[in-house]
Amino acid sequence: MADPLGGPPTTFSNSPCMHPFRPTSIMNANRFDEGYSEDTRSQNETDMVMGAGDSGMESETQQFSLPDWILGLDEQQRSEIAYAILRSLRTSSIAGIVEKLNPLLHLDPVVYLPPEITFQILSYLEPETLLRASTLSRAWRIRVMDSPLWKLLFRLEGWNSNYPQVREHEESERQRRAGFKEKERKTRPRTAEDMDLDKPSSKRRVRGERQLFGDGPAAENGVRDGLERSGKGQAAWGEQHGTVEADEGPSTRTEDQMEGVVATPSQTAQQRRNSPAQNEDLSPTESTSPRIHPTLLLPGPEPKINWQYLYKQKKRLEDNWNAGRYSNFQLPHPNHPNEAHTECVYTIQYSGKYLVSGSRDRSIRIWNLDTQRLIHKPLLGHSASVLCLQFDERPEHDLVVSGGSDCRVILWQFSTGQMIKEIEKAHSESVLNLRFDDRYLVTCSKDKTIKVWNRREMLPTDDTYPSSTTKSGARFPEYIINMQQHVENQHLHFTPLRPYNLVMTLEGHGAAVNAIQILDGQIVSASGDRSVKVWDVRTGACIRTFQGHSKGIACVQFDGRRIVSGSSDETVRIFDRATGAEVACLQGHSNLVRTVQAQFGDLPGNEEELEAEARAVDRNFFEAQNRGQIEQRLSRSQRRARNAGSRDPKSIFAYGAKLPPGGGGSKWARIVSGSYDETVIIWKKGADGAWEKSKILYQNDAVRAAGGRPRRPVAQPPAQGAQGNQNAAQQQAGQAVAQQNNFQALAQQAQAQAQAAQNLAQQAQALHAASQAMHGNTAGNAANVGNPRPPITATAAATAAAQQGAPANAAAHHHHHGPHHHHHPHPLGVPLANQGTNSRVFKLQFDARRIICCSQDPTIVGWDFANGDKDIVLASQFFGDSY
Amino acid sequence: MSTEATNAPKIKLVTSDNAEMEVDRQVAERSILIKNLLEDLGGDNDEAIPIPNVNEAVMKKVLEWCEHHRNDPPASQDDDSDSRKKSTDIDEWDQKFMQVDQEMLFEIILAANYLDIKALLDVGCKTVANMIKGKSPDEIRKTFNIQNDFTPEEEEQIRRENEWAEDR
Repeated sequence: MADPLGGPPTTFSNSPCMHPFRPTSIMNANRFDEGYSEDTRSQNETDMVMGAGDSGMESETQQFSLPDWILGLDEQQRSEIAYAILRSLRTSSIAGIVEKLNPLLHLDPVVYLPPEITFQILSYLEPETLLRASTLSRAWRIRVMDSPLWKLLFRLEGWNSNYPQVREHEESERQRRAGFKEKERKTRPRTAEDMDLDKPSSKRRVRGERQLFGDGPAAENGVRDGLERSGKGQAAWGEQHGTVEADEGPSTRTEDQMEGVVATPSQTAQQRRNSPAQNEDLSPTESTSPRIHPTLLLPGPEPKINWQYLYKQKKRLEDNWNAGRYSNFQLPHPNHPNEAHTECVYTIQYSGKYLVSGSRDRSIRIWNLDTQRLIHKPLLGHSASVLCLQFDERPEHDLVVSGGSDCRVILWQFSTGQMIKEIEKAHSESVLNLRFDDRYLVTCSKDKTIKVWNRREMLPTDDTYPSSTTKSGARFPEYIINMQQHVENQHLHFTPLRPYNLVMTLEGHGAAVNAIQILDGQIVSASGDRSVKVWDVRTGACIRTFQGHSKGIACVQFDGRRIVSGSSDETVRIFDRATGAEVACLQGHSNLVRTVQAQFGDLPGNEEELEAEARAVDRNFFEAQNRGQIEQRLSRSQRRARNAGSRDPKSIFAYGAKLPPGGGGSKWARIVSGSYDETVIIWKKGADGAWEKSKILYQNDAVRAAGGRPRRPVAQPPAQGAQGNQNAAQQQAGQAVAQQNNFQALAQQAQAQAQAAQNLAQQAQALHAASQAMHGNTAGNAANVGNPRPPITATAAATAAAQQGAPANAAAHHHHHGPHHHHHPHPLGVPLANQGTNSRVFKLQFDARRIICCSQDPTIVGWDFANGDKDIVLASQFFGDSY
Repeated sequence: MSTEATNAPKIKLVTSDNAEMEVDRQVAERSILIKNLLEDLGGDNDEAIPIPNVNEAVMKKVLEWCEHHRNDPPASQDDDSDSRKKSTDIDEWDQKFMQVDQEMLFEIILAANYLDIKALLDVGCKTVANMIKGKSPDEIRKTFNIQNDFTPEEEEQIRRENEWAEDR
């Protein structure tokens, strides 16, 4: 094309005289104009840089200049002329022009929008979409792998996180890097792990990738790097600091672009290609270039937890739960069987680091979960079985409270194991359960009553002091004053009530009160009379009674909205606290459900959503009813069939609830129940919202897999022999698992190995003998495992034990047992020969990573879904408690 | 734009390209920036308010949105990201309103951010998010003319690292 219009040779890209005709946007004067000359430049130069093939044509085109008279026209007129010219062309030419114009119409938001806005855009996307977006370009990857963004995503999943632990970790890492706390570095294993992550091993592994990604020396962030850089640390600090990064980093670039023609995106891209990591303009973003494999701490001298890493590990942990990938462990440590309870264990509770257990052997034991060792001698004081306990190791509480068959409640100092106080005759019969919060201790008993005790000194003028009402069914001790009367009588001299006095007695249940909870001033109690009751702790009034279970209730959990209970009717039911509606009934156990915990994973501020969801389900139900799709009269079997949370109108049997069927919550919601049928069931919500059995865990499998001593002979020694027989191979595998699981103690293992080997050898011998003895009559049991080869397995165990006896074999040991690392549970539905194994589950608890349970067996067992994965273990310390 | 309510108090805005626009005060006050500015100026003020970061074309578009949403309840102050919902649902009128070229779309977003019109910013960001959803990387690159500056090896490394997020 020649220049048909003639005129001065003004080029597109250098036409100062164009500005007067164009409306100028100050903010984006050079990028967003309707005039196309500079837009062409900014986009097409990028093209020229990227696709060398086009550049010849482009530069040729740009030789043409527009005549003054055209430039003198307004937008509308110019566009009409352009259209007229286009219409004069053949279709193929038009198509070519459209193709060339395409980049003008498609703009990269990461280039044109500042980080705080792309943050919001990205926050609407799913993690999978985000990760896909992270492959688009370097600039996209930086915005997508932004730690605060993933922190938000983490929260939006409804996942709990332990912010104090995050802050504490960052702070200790900061001090470590600053060169203080040298000692702590040596004594704290976690800190050592961090160093591993940041230091040579990973450096070596990903060096190639890092260079590709422009991670400068700062990204290596060794201690020395941090110190050396401290001179120019101010800028570096800003880069690493979440908000500052968002404010100052890439947006600086945007301003550059806005200032003039010089720093157009295309040029920036060009510079980047020429000098990947050294470019001054880009250094703020380049140095924060996300690593390909995220690590716990973000690159840079300022220690910041990387939420993308936490999100990733949390997701991997959840995948392990769903797939049933776990390792087993037990208390006592297999090397220290003498620390075990000597009879069945009725109750446990654990925090991140400690577990406290109470047993029929009358003792309470406090375990360190990291080492699987006792931290004190057993706490002795009860004169009969310890049935219930709660502890809080935080220094401001430093307390264990226990209750037992001896009708006593005893308070212990957690840190020393010393008895603080004993409430003799707290009840007239066994104390079955107890809970405390900051203000009250609540106990319940076989004597059908619930008692409330004050934890702090209390005056009648205090908010916590009982206020009796006429509605109240509570009995108050004589020393509890009717405040109203006293005010009327102007009687204003009070003596304070000393801590741990009885404040009130709640009567109303018709049978033993088996379980209680206290939350937000509400006591929730579950009784053998088949009902759950909610009481006001201040007035003692019974606020509501929940019916539904067809037999006595053994356990209850309350999270403020739902009451989850397990019963002798073999079901777990979920009740809506607000309306009393039964929103789910979980059927799957074949005996009394003794213990249950639920984690609904509520999303932040979702009360209204839950209620709206419930309304929608109700509407569907009534519509279906009006259409005649619902049978008006249910058959007996239909009436008895309960709904596990399905939204199908035909399954609905309660409406008007404030919770949708199933109880609501996120897709990560989980219930774990333990039963006298000797199983633990993990429940998850299925596609239609109904709770389904996700996994069945066998208490007695776990004991064996955890690798402790053979089960204590309970009643029938022959049965015990049979167990050993059918599972000798598993036991051997389990030993390895338990020891691997205990990697925190690797340092001290060299010595322990020798002893373990000895134990193993002894066990193997015992097993061997037992299997020989029982060989004749165990076929039935062995067949259930499908692996009836007793003599071989016993020999194998002995061989393994012999191998372990070799000196300095820690590494070899791990290598050898690698394949056993993943323990796979029985497939669902396989009947278990559990007669006589005495594994009735009494109490369980789970957190983000583990289920731990106690049973008729004196050994406490756990399932660790971190499954030995170092990253998951490292990240798990920042995952919040389950309730 | 807002000539229908003749009695309503009006204010004048001057855009970056020196266009003077008259608009109902109520409509303009959808912008928290303008609202605060008016409050700071106090009383009756005939002076035109300069909006140096937004040009006329974009301002027209923004005011069109404000006009349509003039009676919406004011934005809640607890705009913490905690409560932000994942939903990218956009009501029908807003969807139509956002059917503009990408340059205008981004300009509206920037203007909403500058003028502090949260609901409009939300709609804009959701619109962009919807342009990303459900697309392959190549489709997204095409949509936004993104230059892929990764080498194939780098891309493959990232893809492998991202596998954890796939449902297994």
